[in-house]
Amino acid sequence: MGNFSILLQKEWREQTRNFKILWIPLFFIIFGIIEPITNHFLPEIMKSVGNMPEGAEFIWPEFRGEDIFISLLGQYQIMGILVIVLAFMGSISSERKSGTATLLYVRPISFRAYFLSKWIVVNGIVLGSVWLGFMAAWYYINILFNYVDIGSIFQFVAAYSLWIVFVVTVVLTFSAAFSTGLGATLAILITLIFQVVDSLIGAYWTISPWKLPIYASNAFDGNISTANFWWSVGTTIVIIIVLILVGVVMSKRNAAKTTV
Amino acid sequence: MTVLLKTENLTKKYKDEIATEAVSFELEKNTSTALIGPNGAGKTTILSMLAGLVTPTTGTISFLDKKTTDIREVIGFLPQYPKFFSWMSALEFTEMAARLSGVDAKKATIEAKKTLEFVGLGDSMNKKTGTFSGGMKQRLGLAQAIVHKPSLLLLDEPVSALDPIGRRQVMNLLKELQQEVTILYSTHILNDAEEMTDQLLFLRQGKLVEQGSLSEVRSRYAEPRIIIEFQNSAELIRFSQISPWQFIPNGMSVTIDVSSELVEMSDVLALLHNGAFQLRKVERETASLEDIFMKVALS
Repeated sequence: MGNFSILLQKEWREQTRNFKILWIPLFFIIFGIIEPITNHFLPEIMKSVGNMPEGAEFIWPEFRGEDIFISLLGQYQIMGILVIVLAFMGSISSERKSGTATLLYVRPISFRAYFLSKWIVVNGIVLGSVWLGFMAAWYYINILFNYVDIGSIFQFVAAYSLWIVFVVTVVLTFSAAFSTGLGATLAILITLIFQVVDSLIGAYWTISPWKLPIYASNAFDGNISTANFWWSVGTTIVIIIVLILVGVVMSKRNAAKTTV
Repeated sequence: MTVLLKTENLTKKYKDEIATEAVSFELEKNTSTALIGPNGAGKTTILSMLAGLVTPTTGTISFLDKKTTDIREVIGFLPQYPKFFSWMSALEFTEMAARLSGVDAKKATIEAKKTLEFVGLGDSMNKKTGTFSGGMKQRLGLAQAIVHKPSLLLLDEPVSALDPIGRRQVMNLLKELQQEVTILYSTHILNDAEEMTDQLLFLRQGKLVEQGSLSEVRSRYAEPRIIIEFQNSAELIRFSQISPWQFIPNGMSVTIDVSSELVEMSDVLALLHNGAFQLRKVERETASLEDIFMKVALS
């Protein structure tokens, strides 16, 4: 694994210089700020721009801070995942396509180190961004809504983080296995579209990675620690490990496809 | 001479297309070998197989210098169009290349700087590779291929993207390297091959059709012609009256094809001698590599 640290350094440098280290956290933080603010000021906003008739009265649901966390998670589930897929869909496949990978592959690197260096750096950036996003939300929720118990937030974010690692692993493995376009399409299918499938007919099963964000929300009711949740965690970890192995094998197998 | 690398029946098939077929050759230590052939003959495929990028369908590659499990440890590879991470500087890239090939960090920096100076990028080593011109990229490609002092250098068209000055400079660099490293390079530019080659490998449609030193190949394809230039036209006319051979007149000289079995070189010379012709010069012409290329490629 002597090459691992060198490849890690290369990945880190790349993400720094293409500013992904900056704009991805910013994206998540902005969503984290906007969600509590818009929810808090929505009645006022509607009043001033809604063009409502005199005397009209709307009853807005009383949101708790906990609800804002859950609705922010809903935003991340669509916009956040889309950003993750789009930002990292070419991590391996576009290196191959452009031919920049060739000069790495002709050196005695291990493909395990190659894949894992990307996996660690991308996960670092994305998890950091998600955490910063929730932290920003937590700050505004405290001001605009109510204090939310830090312990439940920790459980909530931890459970959601495992789902995020799953998403990142799917994106990277598909980038190793397919061309950028096909890989990204399949990754969107699995991480975005399948959410809909899971919510429509998912009542028939209780253990799956797609259930993790839902189970994460249970942290605020204090009943996250169910058997179904832990089984889903275990299943997700196993799937992540399998995907990593597939990613390593596929990056090695597809090395011959690099543009020479 | 010790053999550094040996390939036996190297074959690569893509679905129903044969890229190379049963290619066997040996590379001797510290020699340079030119891989020539028309486009699509399989030159890049052979280099890619040796570089470990492409696995041969059948056949073996054996590296005989030392016991090495991973051939990538001992080679330096320059693709035809080397691509670099545009966000990296030349120095950073060369340093990373050296370290990935097992040079330790401190030494990598020193070696990277030295190598970049050597290839003529001393002034631009801190510039991002994204700003580099084609010629600079080619030099950087060469730098990353030699920075870790490999024992085998694989170069795919190392000079074809360069202007004549750059070509000369890079050829000179390669000739300097030739003393201490084994070089296998493909080229279209036959002058280069003529200049720097101990062995020629001629590929056509994936098959090795010709192999040997330049003089060996040349003698095999030699199509010798004798050019005789006379002092005056009277001599030329006199010659034409007694010459039993076909010839092509051209001004004051005639060209006789002596490659066919009907014409013996010594007979021509004997005739000239016996007739006591007044001559300006008698010249024997040999085939250039370009002539050989045309002949092999089209046959």
